[in-house]
Amino acid sequence: MAITAQIEREGLLAVIRRRYFSSLSNAILSIVSFALLAYIFWTVFDWAILSAVFSDAGGPEACQQTDGACWAVIDSRWRLILFGLYPHEEHWRSGLACIVVVLMTVLSCIPRFWSGKAISIIWIGGFATFYFLMKGGIFGMPLVDEQQWGGLSLTVFIFVSTALVGMPLSIVFALLRRSELPWISRLTGLIIDSVRSLPLLTILFTFAVVLPFVLPDWASGDKLYRVILGSALFFAAYQAEIIRGGMQAVPKGQEEAAKALGIRYGARIRRILLPQAFKSALPATINQFVITFKETSLVIIIGFFEILASGNAAYGRGEWTFAYVEVYTFIALIYFAFVFSLSRYGAYLERRMDIGDR
Amino acid sequence: MTQSNEPAIVIRGMNKYYEAFHALRDIDLTVEQGERIVICGPSGSGKSTLIRCINRLEEHQSGDIVVLGTSLDDNVANIDGVRREVGMVFQHFNLFPHMTVLENCALAPMLVRKWSRARAEEMAMQYLEKVQIPEQAEKFPGQLSGGQQQRVAIARALSMQPKVLLFDEPTSALDPEMISEVLDVMVSLAKEGMTMLCVTHEMGFARQVADRVIFMDRGEIIEQNAPEEFFGNPQNERTQKFLSQILGH
Amino acid sequence: MIRLWNNLKLRNTALQVAYVGGFVALVLGMALVARANLDELGIISGFDFLFKSTGWKVSFSLIEFTASDPYWRVLLVGFLNTLFLAAIGLVLATVIGVIVGMARTSSNDLARLLGAIYVETFRNVPLILQVFFWYAVFTRFPGPRQAISLADGMFLSSRGIYVPGLNITGLSAFLGIVVFLAGLGVIVWITAAQRFRRMEPARKTRLRLLILAAAALLMAAIFWLGRLPDTPLVSIPALKGLNYRGGVRVSTELTALAVSIAIYGGSYIAEIVRGGFKAVGRGQIEAAQSVGLSAWQVFSRVRFPLALRAMMPILTNQYIWLVKATTMGIAIGFADFFMVVSISINQSGQTLELIGILMAGFLLINFTLAAVLNRINRAIALKGDQLRS
Repeated sequence: MAITAQIEREGLLAVIRRRYFSSLSNAILSIVSFALLAYIFWTVFDWAILSAVFSDAGGPEACQQTDGACWAVIDSRWRLILFGLYPHEEHWRSGLACIVVVLMTVLSCIPRFWSGKAISIIWIGGFATFYFLMKGGIFGMPLVDEQQWGGLSLTVFIFVSTALVGMPLSIVFALLRRSELPWISRLTGLIIDSVRSLPLLTILFTFAVVLPFVLPDWASGDKLYRVILGSALFFAAYQAEIIRGGMQAVPKGQEEAAKALGIRYGARIRRILLPQAFKSALPATINQFVITFKETSLVIIIGFFEILASGNAAYGRGEWTFAYVEVYTFIALIYFAFVFSLSRYGAYLERRMDIGDR
Repeated sequence: MTQSNEPAIVIRGMNKYYEAFHALRDIDLTVEQGERIVICGPSGSGKSTLIRCINRLEEHQSGDIVVLGTSLDDNVANIDGVRREVGMVFQHFNLFPHMTVLENCALAPMLVRKWSRARAEEMAMQYLEKVQIPEQAEKFPGQLSGGQQQRVAIARALSMQPKVLLFDEPTSALDPEMISEVLDVMVSLAKEGMTMLCVTHEMGFARQVADRVIFMDRGEIIEQNAPEEFFGNPQNERTQKFLSQILGH
Repeated sequence: MIRLWNNLKLRNTALQVAYVGGFVALVLGMALVARANLDELGIISGFDFLFKSTGWKVSFSLIEFTASDPYWRVLLVGFLNTLFLAAIGLVLATVIGVIVGMARTSSNDLARLLGAIYVETFRNVPLILQVFFWYAVFTRFPGPRQAISLADGMFLSSRGIYVPGLNITGLSAFLGIVVFLAGLGVIVWITAAQRFRRMEPARKTRLRLLILAAAALLMAAIFWLGRLPDTPLVSIPALKGLNYRGGVRVSTELTALAVSIAIYGGSYIAEIVRGGFKAVGRGQIEAAQSVGLSAWQVFSRVRFPLALRAMMPILTNQYIWLVKATTMGIAIGFADFFMVVSISINQSGQTLELIGILMAGFLLINFTLAAVLNRINRAIALKGDQLRS
């Protein structure tokens, strides 16, 4: 808007001169930036589209003849990357399950559903649908064991269960840490701070490898679920501090008013404190979800066949070994789509709240 | 719970400390049912702390507080019981910003008195009419003026049908032109025989409705008397000094 | 029973005892189970294993290490490797972050767009994916015989980057670098500390140069003292048979990790830098311009110092995060602290002791880093709370 008005007033050349060539240093900066941008765009465009091979029809040999991207590897191996070792005929279930989770995420971004009850229903319902689609054993769907889950669906499964276990845990942590009872608050603080100062990988490793060692056999459970528990603990330690920050932003008078009305602790927390705390903690919470989704990929090191591992397998064996850039780009794009849109949404919410505060 | 002739509040030899700071010293105070009391004093004199002890927003360290026949001690059931029967209006309103005016008023009756939503909202509407803002019921607190918010806060306290109402400087945070609308509501409550304890600097209000005016300084009750005597013939030197400052001559 | 439960003081005490007691019971229970499991495996708990020799080698080490060295030494190797990688990664990430962050706050749209593309590309893709990517790129460089020569004595190959090095002992290299870094620290202190506020700028510059020279000389002296007998001081890599001899080989794993941490961390730090500059009020800049400061002076004396103060607390968290990210070394086989510990667990079976050491090591690094950065933050923080931007 502003710039078209300027152009009408001063003429295109004058505007360009003022914005990009106002001084020698600005001119150099403009030229260098423009050259770099043009180079990047052209290289990427040429590599990814113009010179690229899209179809698997020619096999790996077709790719060898061009300098462009070899999307043929994706064409040939996309099922492996997305679904891992999930049985071939049942891939639709795995795909549908991922779509359910995407829908669930989109629904939770709509302010209409921002109440504890609605969000819980959406997430627990979505998770249950996901789980039964993946696992099967009902409605005539053959049973598929967790051992066979892999690729994108495994990544999504670990992420969603981390959030589902971690979120309530983080609320409990936050409440315990702000407790008036000194020993409860201190011990919780110690646990949270210790978890926060350790790398996630060491925690995942501890839960995967060390826990069976210190727990009796009946309590050890499956490795997948232990790792999810560790991941949830790590998530909760960070999220608890975010929620506590939100609670501190709620004026003291709110709880006092509720007390004076005779409302008891549980209802005070649920009806008065948490709704307000979550509202101010929302952007930071979304950010934490984004970080958690990215960090889910670490489970590859503990030996899970998630999307990165299935990607490694897609190019690692046999004839596609040269096509690693394409495979990593494909996986990166999947992450990018999710992470970029969520973090844009978080930034939008933050801006909206800033305006609201004024 | 109470007999009709029993005092509403009895405080005997009550002391309150914040760490080493002695906030309230040897407070003795009896409030009869239906009595209207105004508490005044310089800032930091402990007047807010005193009324906050009556519904256990603050804990006292020694002495007794008996509210409507229930002793405020370590028994959680007693604390809950007292809070059910004692309402409070705050300086900064403390309305719940994420709920509509009607929800603000209906919440506690539903949660504490276990009323149905219909009944709680019906009662809430009655009290909103009483404070003369029934038309704002579906708005959020942030959309109201300060005076309207404080009237909602009074309606919210009334919705629990309390036997005693505590006011903690209810007009101090208001713009001058909004003070009277809140005071009018308080006067009409006083006329209906509500037991009231008001911490306020509105001396006109004290003259008009108070049965007794209490002056506090440095955590002690210095002087208490009927308003004519209190304003016309203050006994204590500190009371005289305070009154001359606040009345501005 | 109900009457007792209604008593606030009793209830509070009971809750606290139950919570702390429950936690202690859980820990004790785990210890007992672990004890039983250890007995079954015939492993003697305790730290005696630290003095046994390992019997295996590590791929990259700053200090000399052989398969007959004891466990404590391999743990030290891993710890130093983590610190080394973190130091390189943090410095590079900061350099990238400052450049990109400046581009993102530039008044030139093209530079801003370039910065935005960088940040959005690298920040929205998991670090470990980038580690795998760069590792795949670097291992596909030509073998040593066809290595790409960057300059005299510098070669890029699939086995790593070869650069000229010094024939000195590891210890003296380490000490020398520590001395030099300490010198840099003193210079930063002189620049920032209250005590030197009133010194003439020219004298201050001279003092800084003097300290820099002294630190450099001292480092050179330490290197000289630690030189290996019967070798030239400078060793240049040269192709001998199938591989390079001499010089220093920066392993592919280290390169891939340092590059990914620098690029990924750089995108985060760029955002922090941008936020810091955004936090500087227009009024301050206008005030500086109005008293006649030049563009560079406005930047170096007003904008940057104020922005730095706004960035410091967030930057501290980011640095700690990046240090923790070095654990990804295990994904591609870089012998960092975490990898060394997990191999030790496999080899010795002393699981609990080693996990304890691992956690203690990271707590030590994080608390030290946080303490130092918070100290700096306190020293430079604006005093008083009466400021409006």
